[in-house]
Amino acid sequence: MHLLQLRKNEAARIIDYLDKELASRLLTLGLLPETKVKYIRKAPFGGAHYIKFNGHAIALRENEALSIIVEKI
Amino acid sequence: MSLKSQIKAGLIGNPNSGKSSLFNNLTGLNQHVSNFPGITVDKKTGIVKLPHSTFIELIDFPGCYSLYPNSGEEKLVVEILSNPKHPDYPDFIIFVVDATDVRRQLLLATQIRDLGLPVLMVMTMKDLADKRGMHFETGGMSMTMGFPTLLTSNVSGEGLDELKDYLFAFRKVLIKGAKATLEDNSWGEDFHLKPGESHHNPAFQQLIVRQAGTDSKNQQDSAFFYDLNMTEKNIVAQLKDKLNAKTDYQALIQIHHSEWLEHLSHELKDEITETKLQIGFKSIPLQIDETLQRYNKFSPVVNRFLTFKIQKGFSITDKIDRLVTHKILGPAIFFLIMFLVFQIIFSWAELPMNWIESAFGSLSIWAENILPGGWFSDLIVQGVIPGVGGVMVFIPQIFLLFLMIGTMEEIGYMSRVVFMFDQIMKQFGLNGRSLISLISGGACAIPAIMSTRTISQQKERLITILITPLISCSARIPVYTLLIGFAVPDVQVYIFNARGLAFMGLYLLGILMAFISALVMKYVIKAKERSFLMLSLPEYKRPRIKNISLFVREKVGAFIIQAGKIILLISIVLWALASYGPTEKMDQAEKDAISFSQENGLGEEVTGNLIAAKKIEASYAGHLGKFIEPAIKPLGFDWKIGIALITSFAAREVFVGTMATIYAIGSESENLSVSQKMAADVNLTTGEKVYSPATSWSLLIFYVFALQCLSTIAITRRETGTWKWPIVQFLYMGVLAYVGSYFVYQLF
Repeated sequence: MHLLQLRKNEAARIIDYLDKELASRLLTLGLLPETKVKYIRKAPFGGAHYIKFNGHAIALRENEALSIIVEKI
Repeated sequence: MSLKSQIKAGLIGNPNSGKSSLFNNLTGLNQHVSNFPGITVDKKTGIVKLPHSTFIELIDFPGCYSLYPNSGEEKLVVEILSNPKHPDYPDFIIFVVDATDVRRQLLLATQIRDLGLPVLMVMTMKDLADKRGMHFETGGMSMTMGFPTLLTSNVSGEGLDELKDYLFAFRKVLIKGAKATLEDNSWGEDFHLKPGESHHNPAFQQLIVRQAGTDSKNQQDSAFFYDLNMTEKNIVAQLKDKLNAKTDYQALIQIHHSEWLEHLSHELKDEITETKLQIGFKSIPLQIDETLQRYNKFSPVVNRFLTFKIQKGFSITDKIDRLVTHKILGPAIFFLIMFLVFQIIFSWAELPMNWIESAFGSLSIWAENILPGGWFSDLIVQGVIPGVGGVMVFIPQIFLLFLMIGTMEEIGYMSRVVFMFDQIMKQFGLNGRSLISLISGGACAIPAIMSTRTISQQKERLITILITPLISCSARIPVYTLLIGFAVPDVQVYIFNARGLAFMGLYLLGILMAFISALVMKYVIKAKERSFLMLSLPEYKRPRIKNISLFVREKVGAFIIQAGKIILLISIVLWALASYGPTEKMDQAEKDAISFSQENGLGEEVTGNLIAAKKIEASYAGHLGKFIEPAIKPLGFDWKIGIALITSFAAREVFVGTMATIYAIGSESENLSVSQKMAADVNLTTGEKVYSPATSWSLLIFYVFALQCLSTIAITRRETGTWKWPIVQFLYMGVLAYVGSYFVYQLF
């Protein structure tokens, strides 16, 4: 499943990435394989998503979040 | 390492790492802003004073996540750090890390170390880390990582003295050279260290020495955190002789980015591209492998030397964000804040603006009285002083707006705004970050356009630059105020004042047109690269006055320097155009005015004003106005308005002053105001009033849309690097203005 299939406040573990170019940037920001991520909320007008990992918050666009494959813990 | 007397340190870190605060703390007011050569990225440099009246130079590099850059600013970091010959290539790096989030930031630290640059790692925000119960064993971490690591707090100032001792030690080693330092037994005593401090440990000193020795020949090939794989080794081996690189990794970075690195020659670029194809060098998969390998290498170090209690429940930031980024409350809070911001700007700025205006008015009168007369004093009294005054009068509004933007940025609110509105902005070919530039445009387009540098995708940045001048800036306010007086009667509409509503309508019209234009450009302009959001939402923190005041100083400074010089220059040119004309005609104009006033028995002051009015008609500016009259007649404008349109290019509010001159209002005159005189003006051919509501509305629309600001044109030229975009900007806004005014005029 991908990141956006998580419900609000649901946590999961990153296992893979669909897009290499996006992956290289996500890694730079610390979204590594095995990282525990939590889906927090959608932006008011959609399009962006509020994600937390390792105690930090990050905003991802729809396509960025879709490219992250996770598995439920 | 060559012996040198001046040591340059580069300050590098992720965005929001506390880098700017550390820079401000280390340099105080000993800092200045210039440009990196050949590129419009602000270069902040400062002097750090060290013990024994020594110092080092500190360069504040733009925030950066990795040597595989995203934005233009990040690219600049790579451009400089990959090129040992670059004039800004530092001698060592102060790497700034937010202590509450060390792991991912170490990625860049290790990359920089592998370039062959000595690193001193400074973990800031110790206060926050302490609060969260985090504990760092900096000694062990330093020894394992191979570079000294220390903890500081920008709030309490803790650790800053220790940091300066380290800087002193780095300076010492780098000046003496690693070898000489090792041979000199007494060097430790020079360190200005207090006994018992951790860094008194000789092992720590060794770390500095060992790093400083990195670029000596024998250690050239060492990679510290990353072992190049076969493909990488292969390509580096083939090309290294041609590349100017200190380490294999530095060569590798040059190869990765050969397409856009400016310090590589065209032939070399072609050769690298060819070799890449031959070997099958694929940049992105290699980047991913490298990044993962680095994490694997330093993650155990972090796990070993950093301990913290796992937090339960929700942090304050979580609680604030639940409201501030809420589906409905979030945007509501944002619009409320924006309403308050502009309310404050309009109400608080008025008084100081009046002071500035009257101060320059008095200065002009005073100068007129003490100067001997002649063209030179006219230049000072009518050209220079009003020109400088015209720049100064905007400062209160610009100051207030950036004070508030700076505070919101410092607290951490702005990134939430970007998060909330990214989707809407994306629909228009913009980026969430564009919104901050557009808000800044409410004060002045100059700093607003400069602030687009944080937008990484070129297309989004370009569109933001192109539409920003459509947001009504502070220079339009006096023009709107004057013209609305003619266009709209002073009546109440329900609970609102009709003029107030018209004023708001003009603002909204500008905003609306900005978005429509963006939408069109989205389909016309082609994108070269992908667009990303991936925005870090930092924890909220208490704003620090020092950071905000430096932010405001920078923005206001940019306005004064970038816009100020052009406004002043244009004011002088326009003064000359309005004061001089073909001698015959000028003399004739004066004679006519005098004889007219004698026939009608006018007083001395009125006569003087009449002469001025007749003279401006006969001047070069008057000729220009009459020359363009046929073109602007369909809009309902006469040659007088034509003159004002031209003079508005200094800054739009000059319109009001020009009108005062044309309608023969001396500065001392109290009998009739500009607006009364303008209201009384009658068109000679039709017998109708010149400032009919139709003409006034037409003119208002013109001022909303037209790019009548040379400073903006200059700044667009500078930020886009070509004349193409300022010309496009001028033309599209000009067409909007002309067509808009034409329709409005014909409508009436």
